[in-house]
Amino acid sequence: MTADEQAADQAARGESERVDVTLTVNGETRSLAIDPRTSLLDLLREHLALTGAKKGCDHGQCGACTVHLDGRRIVSCLMPAVQTDGRAVKTIEALASPNGELHPMQRAFIDHDALQCGYCTPGQIMAAVACVDEGHAGSTEEIREYMSGNICRCGAYVGVVSAIQDAAAKMRRT
Amino acid sequence: MTSLPYPYTIRVDAEDKVRGKPIYAADDNRPGLLHAALAVSTIAKGRITDIDTQAASAVHGVRLVLTHKTMGAAKSAGFIMGGGYGFQSLQPMLSPAIAYRGQPIALVAAETLEQAVESAHLVRARYAEEPFGVSLDAPGVEVVHQADTPLKNFIPEIASGDADQALSKAPVKIDAVFKAPPQHQNPMELIASVAEWRGNKLTVHEGTQNAEAVRHGVATALGIAPEQVEVISPYLGGGFGQKNSLQMQTLLAAVAARETGRPVKLVVPRATLFHAASFRPESRHHIRLGAERTGKMLAAIHEVDAQTSRHDLFPGEYTATSSRLYGFGSFRGVERLVRTDVQTPGYMRAPFEHPACFAMECCVDELAYSLGQDPVALRLANDTDTDVATGLPFSSRYLAECLKRGAELFGWTRRSMAPRSMRAKDGSAIGWGVAVGAYPGLTTPAVAHLKADEDGCVVISIGGHEMGQGIRTSLANTVSRKLGVLPEKVRAVIGDTRAAPQHLTAGSWGTASAIPAAEDAADAMLMALAEMSPAGIADRTPAEILKAAGRRTLEVEVQRKPPGQPDEILGRLRAGLPSVAGPVYRSHVTFSYIAHFVEVVIEPGTRRIRVPRVVSVADCGRVISPRTAASQVRGGVVWGIGAALRESSEVDPRYGGFLNADLADYVLPVNADIGSIDVEFIDKPDPVFNRSGVKGLGEVAMTGVAPAIANAVFHATGRRLRDLPVRIDHLL
Repeated sequence: MTADEQAADQAARGESERVDVTLTVNGETRSLAIDPRTSLLDLLREHLALTGAKKGCDHGQCGACTVHLDGRRIVSCLMPAVQTDGRAVKTIEALASPNGELHPMQRAFIDHDALQCGYCTPGQIMAAVACVDEGHAGSTEEIREYMSGNICRCGAYVGVVSAIQDAAAKMRRT
Repeated sequence: MTSLPYPYTIRVDAEDKVRGKPIYAADDNRPGLLHAALAVSTIAKGRITDIDTQAASAVHGVRLVLTHKTMGAAKSAGFIMGGGYGFQSLQPMLSPAIAYRGQPIALVAAETLEQAVESAHLVRARYAEEPFGVSLDAPGVEVVHQADTPLKNFIPEIASGDADQALSKAPVKIDAVFKAPPQHQNPMELIASVAEWRGNKLTVHEGTQNAEAVRHGVATALGIAPEQVEVISPYLGGGFGQKNSLQMQTLLAAVAARETGRPVKLVVPRATLFHAASFRPESRHHIRLGAERTGKMLAAIHEVDAQTSRHDLFPGEYTATSSRLYGFGSFRGVERLVRTDVQTPGYMRAPFEHPACFAMECCVDELAYSLGQDPVALRLANDTDTDVATGLPFSSRYLAECLKRGAELFGWTRRSMAPRSMRAKDGSAIGWGVAVGAYPGLTTPAVAHLKADEDGCVVISIGGHEMGQGIRTSLANTVSRKLGVLPEKVRAVIGDTRAAPQHLTAGSWGTASAIPAAEDAADAMLMALAEMSPAGIADRTPAEILKAAGRRTLEVEVQRKPPGQPDEILGRLRAGLPSVAGPVYRSHVTFSYIAHFVEVVIEPGTRRIRVPRVVSVADCGRVISPRTAASQVRGGVVWGIGAALRESSEVDPRYGGFLNADLADYVLPVNADIGSIDVEFIDKPDPVFNRSGVKGLGEVAMTGVAPAIANAVFHATGRRLRDLPVRIDHLL
């Protein structure tokens, strides 16, 4: 393909296959023209360089891509990015305070060694924060149930449960 | 120094992980990146007769469509167990031949991922199909005795005494067949490569357990010098054996990047990975165990049929571990390989040891019941300090201590022996089971480079890959203790072919290979520091000594090879070839051991099996990083629970391939499946094995869990279930 053909190709793609979307990501307004097939996960990772949310299955089966949409946890791989127009997304990158201090849940994951390879960890932590906020951290059984959408192949589940119990107490105090 | 336990250091890379830092290969999203997607074969065996890429090429944003016709000059990098670098000898897209369903037939590179995926779906192939077989008993499969292949030269059959005669005379016999299904590793991180050319130099970012094999393998495949390739893999999002060699996509991404002049990112989808990377082969185990009425084991015969591919012989090493569990009076092992039409199976956590221990440890439980003996007591009575297979002593073996301590922690004495004798208040059947596991003590050569600076930082560059086991924390603990610096001041550069030769990290040899080399390097540094400090180095940090001597930095490099190995093994290390020694060494044999105690609860109505409680006690020599080691054992237990009750890759006899190729249908343990898991270590060093006294841990953790569960299910129900996974319908 010559450079001219390539330019024509790109122009055609840009005009015919892009839609505008404006959303708030980690408190910042972002406007993009995207392929309408783009998932929120791919928008975050490939367009906004927010790679904390991970792709583990792309089918909503593993939870590695968990983020918060308008304060609720979702699997971002199943969310078309265009559907987030006008809405607010929060990712692991914005969980610590602006001065860098870790969120109590992040701290607890370290203290309880609730992770091994780290790949599912951002999703686990975003789900864990939501689990507490939803009021689903009342007992170990409840935590286990409400954290079962997040697979950890390394098998750090025991640590995840203790981390959530620990952080839940601190989150309720603040 | 092996005399003191190590501190409970925080996992040194945990903070980066909880912050979601971009540390994995696919987190790379540099400008100008092209996204790639694959089209795969829809037949199980045959040839591509025609491949149409017109529609695929016409998709907006597509920059390249590669097929076997357009790959250019490239060749297979060979099979890692056959002198090469790949997970199998078959590199897809180099010929029209199709060896298995799901084999990649085309790669598309496009400006966006969405365009690449759309385009890949439009690739159309026509095929000439051939008959195929995908399971051990399928028509047309070929059975090969491993002893009749060149594999016998490095995997000798285990034979000790006349097991057949001893068995025939044994007053008590157990004869049983066990089945273990194919399974997939499914690390959370998808296999992915980012390939970029600068001039004639190729850089590959890829989560791999074997950066050196990726480097040498892709160089071999492309016909370029290894010096032209660098592979960077600081972190893996889990490996479990799946990422232990050159994968099929690295060459494809490299060729696409070369042809387009752009960096190319290829993330292989989960469904594709069920066919495009290795898996645990299906295996069948026939065990015959003979004993005296006292319980003394006189003979064991373990015959294995294990799946391999048509194009490679994936070795079976099942009996190498089952023969080491007890002081059998005699033992005979037989390994047969069954050629089926699949991608070459490979290593998945405790690849042979998990099914081998499942079969043997279920038999031992059956023996205990046929003798009316307590299963722990029977095991203790058959313990041994001498390896039956070789007659050599074990360098260390604290299996009896694992059993005794585990029984104590679990409260084993409160168990009533009779099946179906323990019930919960709600009528659930309770079962308590025990089993042990073992894993060979393996070692590889290593090169360690240590650099200290006047600001107090210490950098160790060494072969190794971080995939969750915590090797950075182990290295930090070791170097910290030797040099008197804080663990957080030690930085490990690993998984990087620019820093040090990167031997495959697998087989639980990572710590036992890297830690002694790190100690050697630290000794070399202490010696160099002593030379520059006439006042002595006691109670002084390297930074203090450097400052006093007016030096900014000090660097040392050491290399270490396993005992009894020739110097050539260092050449193999640098060439990216597996260079593994053990478990049989000149004067001893080394294994790691574990004992698991499991409680199962079986609900009366649904017959659902739950595992509320596990106690595991491991002998892995000196524990270098107690916090990450305990996590690793808990993870191994979770794997054992998955293997016992959940995981099976279902084959499709009609169309080939694996049917349940996603994370909803390939059922993995989730949080709600896991109860309490209590872990302890014997933590006694094995100074014969290496100077650090450390043995392997990651794999032995999983061995023995599945039989402990199956034995507990027997205790709860009175039913012996010998096919994995044990499911509700087996109990109805």
